[in-house]
Amino acid sequence: MKYQNGRVAAILLATTIAGQAMAQEQTVTVVLSEELDVVEPCMASRSNIGRVVLQNIAETVTEIVPGSGLQPRLATSWEDMGGGTWRFTLREGVTFHDGSSFTAEDVAHSIARTTGDQIVCEIGAKFFGGIAITTDIVDEHTIDITADPAQPILPLLMSTMTVVPAETPMDSFVETPVGTGPYTFDEYNVGQNITLSHYENYWGDMPEVLSATYLFRSDSAVRSAMVATGEADIAPNIAVQDATDPATDYAYPNSETVYLRVDHEIAPLNDVRVREALNLAVDRQAFVGTVLADGTLLATGMTPPSTLGYNAELEPYGYDPDRARELLQEAAADGVAVDSSITLIGRTGNFGNVLETMEALLQMFQDVGFNMELQMFEVAEWENSYSRPFAEDRGPTLVAAQHDNANGDPVFSMYFKYASDGLQSGIQDPQLDDMIAAATAATGEEREQLWSDTFAYIHDEIVGDVMLFHMVGFSRVNPRLAFEPTIKTNSELQLAQISFN
Amino acid sequence: MKSFLGKRAIASAISLIGLIVLVFFLSRLTGDPTALYLPVDASLESREQFRELHGLNDPLIVQFGTYVSDLVRFDFGDSIRRSEPALDAVLRAFAWTLQLALITMSLVIVTAVIVGSLAAFHVGGVFDRITTFFSLVGASAPDFWIAIVAIVLFSVNLGWVPTSGTGTLWHWILPVAVLFIRPFGLILQVVRGSMISVLGSAYVKTARAKGVRNRPIIFVHGLRNAMLPVITVIGDQAAALLNGAVVVETIFGFPGVGKLMIDSILQRDFSVVLAAIFVTAVAIFVMNILIDILYAVLDPRIRY
Repeated sequence: MKYQNGRVAAILLATTIAGQAMAQEQTVTVVLSEELDVVEPCMASRSNIGRVVLQNIAETVTEIVPGSGLQPRLATSWEDMGGGTWRFTLREGVTFHDGSSFTAEDVAHSIARTTGDQIVCEIGAKFFGGIAITTDIVDEHTIDITADPAQPILPLLMSTMTVVPAETPMDSFVETPVGTGPYTFDEYNVGQNITLSHYENYWGDMPEVLSATYLFRSDSAVRSAMVATGEADIAPNIAVQDATDPATDYAYPNSETVYLRVDHEIAPLNDVRVREALNLAVDRQAFVGTVLADGTLLATGMTPPSTLGYNAELEPYGYDPDRARELLQEAAADGVAVDSSITLIGRTGNFGNVLETMEALLQMFQDVGFNMELQMFEVAEWENSYSRPFAEDRGPTLVAAQHDNANGDPVFSMYFKYASDGLQSGIQDPQLDDMIAAATAATGEEREQLWSDTFAYIHDEIVGDVMLFHMVGFSRVNPRLAFEPTIKTNSELQLAQISFN
Repeated sequence: MKSFLGKRAIASAISLIGLIVLVFFLSRLTGDPTALYLPVDASLESREQFRELHGLNDPLIVQFGTYVSDLVRFDFGDSIRRSEPALDAVLRAFAWTLQLALITMSLVIVTAVIVGSLAAFHVGGVFDRITTFFSLVGASAPDFWIAIVAIVLFSVNLGWVPTSGTGTLWHWILPVAVLFIRPFGLILQVVRGSMISVLGSAYVKTARAKGVRNRPIIFVHGLRNAMLPVITVIGDQAAALLNGAVVVETIFGFPGVGKLMIDSILQRDFSVVLAAIFVTAVAIFVMNILIDILYAVLDPRIRY
């Protein structure tokens, strides 16, 4: 009997140890560059918040999947009802982490909360500015969502809308986010870590990762060292100089596009020859593999190649300083004040080696004869130059900016950047306004073609801006994981997509 | 002594009020934080809504009036960034900084005093030369470089200690070691210089003539008299640590008040900036009073 008890104890001990070891193996540690200031689902479009919350804790109505386009998530299907209204059929059998059932009322509440005026949600401000959204609950799992003005891409916009229970307060951010995602929010030790664990009643497949810990280190060298020592499994967004190990480090397009916004209203930048000279003055290729990472792509449009309507036929402007000088001389002969002082404005800390990039650009512009000076501003001051309303007494300016579009459709970019009343547009062109409006309203292949035409018009005909680079990001991943970062890693990190080698 | 403490407390309170007023207006001069909190694509309506919610549309003097009336109730306002009371965020971070500063300064004081005294006893000897060389190197080496090299060497290559974080006792070794180096070098040099002066004085020579052994001469007769300038430097170094060891906190992921303050300044989280400055200023005022008391304890000639 004594012997049997000993065997039972040994088996229990062995299974306990084995269970703990398995749980340990199925845990991942992610080290982020910045601590989360809030864990609110309606702020999940901020990259570090999104990497914890988005699709892990709180799910969206629809989802953009790289390579597959728009896919169902909490909605299983959607239909255009006309008049700006879309009908979404919601997934049944879904529960929130608090045990309540997911219904159309939760979607209506989440939309009202995200786009309302009692709290400022980044998702509302970024994707729903100027759009009035109303909802009409048809039944428990069907909801009509109406946008005014009408949004042909409303299902796409719903890929940004995180859903929380209807009981979530309208007037304050949550400290413990509750969603329908595959992971529950367990604990936030402010300043130290966040832990998530698998939600047993999740409607989808059982993920391999059963729990996750998020740590925060602002120094890139430390983040990469943590993966190297095994203290962490994934370090998204490490610096190029720390991505030194081909076995663990991945380079991937990070959905950021760098360009110089040209102010078309002020001479001499209102002359197309001057704008073309600006483009021809830049030796874009010289930046790649030097001040910018290998793999950086030369840009011809505002959105990365994975975006709908990306025009692959457009050629980046070549480096032709002689032709740039000729164009400036031609413009000068016609009375254009090409010797006016132009201000090149950069933003400190905008991306790695931004100062070196800006100084090299300045040198290239000066080499072909531009009278230009560089000013580097911190973000708030830079924003004054970049966004409307612009100062009345401003001189000719080029504003360097980095724009992120990981959402797969140019509409998230083009209105703001190129429409006459776009917040960051330096262009007043009725024809372009019509093209953006037509592409925004179109669907399917027609939409793709119209966006493609719009990119060509901006790049080749009006020479809208000085497009520069589609950037690449670097992540370090522990070899024990089967996980390859994608363009979405810039804004989310779905634990359920990670498996173990 | 009581009247001295009363006067110091009143002087400190006046300085504190001046500091708060100055920082309030200077921080507002840095501009509107709206652009930092909302995405670049945020609409004008969203921006206006944000300003209204956080009282940024009010005239500056109205904002100041509201701030002062709240401060009277010890309410520093809420952090824009963290959506929690600013004082809670600061006190939480200050607890980490205080622990780091206390551990580091305790180790620094004990080792620097012992090593500096021994170095002073045989000026120009091998021990003196070695300690002088390493203390000068330590006092002048940049701590961000030491921190990264320490991580690469002791964590990545040797695997002895974790790279960063706060979970176990092992996590404290590298940050404390890196923070230790600079004040150790400085204080050691001051102890050494002060002890050289004291050991050359008449009463030490008399003690030696009477046959007193070396250890009591150094640590009983010499050290007490050599400590006054050392305490001044210790206070200065401790104040620097209480303000937050920004570089070490940043690299090692320590959630201290220095990093919080820098992040808040960059984010224009005004309530947190003011609360952090208030808490660290109070801590430094208290520490200065303690140092004044310590002067009187060590040197009976000093009376307040």
